[in-house]
Amino acid sequence: MIADLTTRRLVICCGTGGVGKTTISAALALRLAQSGARTVVVTIDPARRLASALGMTGLSDEPRRVPADAVLGEGAGELWALQLDAKATFDRLVSRYAADEAARTRILENRIYRHLSGAVAGAQEYMAVERLHELVEDGDFECIVLDTPPATNALDFLDAPQRITRFIEGRALRLLLRPGAVAGGLGWKILHAGSGTVLGLLERLTGAQLLRDVSDFLAGFDGMYQGFADRATAVRTLLLSEQSAFLVIAAAEPDSLGQAVALSRRLTSDGFPLSGVVLNRVHALPGEPPAEQELADALAAAGAEDPGALARDAIAAIADERVLGLRDLDARAELHAAIRDGALIEVPSLAHEPVELPGIAEVAAALGP
Amino acid sequence: MLGKGGVGKSTVAAALALSTARAGGRALVVEVAGQQRLSQLFSAARVGDDEATELRPGLFGISIDAERATEEYLAGQLKIRPLVELLTHSKAFHTFAAAAPGLPELVTIGKIWSMAIALRPDGGAPVWDTVTVDCPATGHGIALLETAGNIEELAAGGPIRDQAARIQEVVSHPAATGIVIVARPQELAVAEAIEATATLRGHGLPVAAAVLNGVHPARFSASDAPPLRAVADAPGAVGEAARAALRHLEQQGDDTAYRTRLAGETGLPVIDLPRVVRRRIDLPALELLADALAQGLASAGAAA
Repeated sequence: MIADLTTRRLVICCGTGGVGKTTISAALALRLAQSGARTVVVTIDPARRLASALGMTGLSDEPRRVPADAVLGEGAGELWALQLDAKATFDRLVSRYAADEAARTRILENRIYRHLSGAVAGAQEYMAVERLHELVEDGDFECIVLDTPPATNALDFLDAPQRITRFIEGRALRLLLRPGAVAGGLGWKILHAGSGTVLGLLERLTGAQLLRDVSDFLAGFDGMYQGFADRATAVRTLLLSEQSAFLVIAAAEPDSLGQAVALSRRLTSDGFPLSGVVLNRVHALPGEPPAEQELADALAAAGAEDPGALARDAIAAIADERVLGLRDLDARAELHAAIRDGALIEVPSLAHEPVELPGIAEVAAALGP
Repeated sequence: MLGKGGVGKSTVAAALALSTARAGGRALVVEVAGQQRLSQLFSAARVGDDEATELRPGLFGISIDAERATEEYLAGQLKIRPLVELLTHSKAFHTFAAAAPGLPELVTIGKIWSMAIALRPDGGAPVWDTVTVDCPATGHGIALLETAGNIEELAAGGPIRDQAARIQEVVSHPAATGIVIVARPQELAVAEAIEATATLRGHGLPVAAAVLNGVHPARFSASDAPPLRAVADAPGAVGEAARAALRHLEQQGDDTAYRTRLAGETGLPVIDLPRVVRRRIDLPALELLADALAQGLASAGAAA
């Protein structure tokens, strides 16, 4: 499967939180770089741990070269990393596309904007799409690996651009806030029907000033709406094309599996090019535990103080590993039944969390051919 | 309950509610992102979004649909029937309700707030002894908790601002609200927990405790290592069991290091929850966790 990914421009790793998406994204990017591509991994990891895992002091919104020569090998490409900064991306967009200096200032200093661009749910997903567009347009990288933002619904990432552009460019909202512009239209009639306008009603709830801020914010974006919509469409077209590949990352826990299967199905039915599923942290199934007496005798011979108790605890430890091994066998069977052949990569559970560059390289090697 | 995705927030929330319910109290668990984890944990029917569903004696669940709650809220504010009709038939209104910055979050936290302060019609005692909120993953969870404060600051007047201020008063009051940071003994989860604690405190929000979920039970001590190592090379099942024990011992050490770091960098009391190794988290597993949580809370309380 990895060989197939080397031909893609964009690799998108999705999945719910806690499945190891950031680590797998980094490992995958390392593999693609090893195979010769100039690769960048785009992460949203808020704890900035990817940076230190990659041997760097920090990441920023601009790509930085990862000092990975030791693990890249001969004839490899380059590995770069960048950490998505929603606010910085949004600010840059506004600076680049605003009609003039006045419009720029009007947006950047608007209080609604300051909250929208930094904190509001959905803004981060939207900015991931905008940042992707920039990276593709700049053409500096042969391959872009995207670690999607964590979300309860992993597909929020795909829907967010539509949701947020709907707000920013929403015709309905513009009607609402600037009814004069379309006087006489259907919206105008609705707005001015009855004893008060919708605007008036909302104003009663929010206070005039909040609504004025919203209005001002939207007015500031005048002339930029089309650009937002166009870029969102361009990225969507790229995501739907064979230049992209989606990977669903799953852990063997029951919740995560169900969500991974649902996610795979939805990606396929929506026409996104799904390459496969990565089942992360698969526990090996150990053999049956030994007879307690046999183990206790061996421990006694090795000088254990209380060989009986130690043998019982050791058997409990291996019994735990067996439960997890059996659970993961089921997980594997469930995934095989749900996705097409050859589209499942298993990454074994490592003795230690892969937090350093050699750990990432170990995961990269485990991704298979 | 706030923390990185996958750390077990829903499980910890359910366990906390279970420990309240078992002590004779009435506990409500609030789901906010429609995950329906509660119904899975309790093998129950779908948890409703209108009324709390009783999952165990004294333990109730409710699932808040932000978009629907926002429309209900805005309409409810107007009180005059024809105006409500006018609004709810307006496409502009639906757009506004769905996408106004922070409004769905405000309504969600507002609905939680109203349940938390609700009093029984008779003696005036609270309807719920505890309301446990299973927040979305860190970033979105923090946005939810910060939203009342943000709106209070953004809107200069009007009923929404007044309401935001009333909500913020409860959310930011350490006697009323305790944010519990949930982490697993893993690098990313612990790093995110430390960062979230600092962010929340920066916004004046009361972080009460941290829960370290999935701690390996202390089965082995350092003095067990030499005999285990001696046996680890033995062929077959004997060697394999000794190697499993050594791995467990090493993980005990990792867990301790993460607990020390979490406690040291946040200054929070850290409550350990044992790792429950099962095919899936079921009621007996929740009971175990509820015991551990009750015990941890008691000793954290005693220490404080």
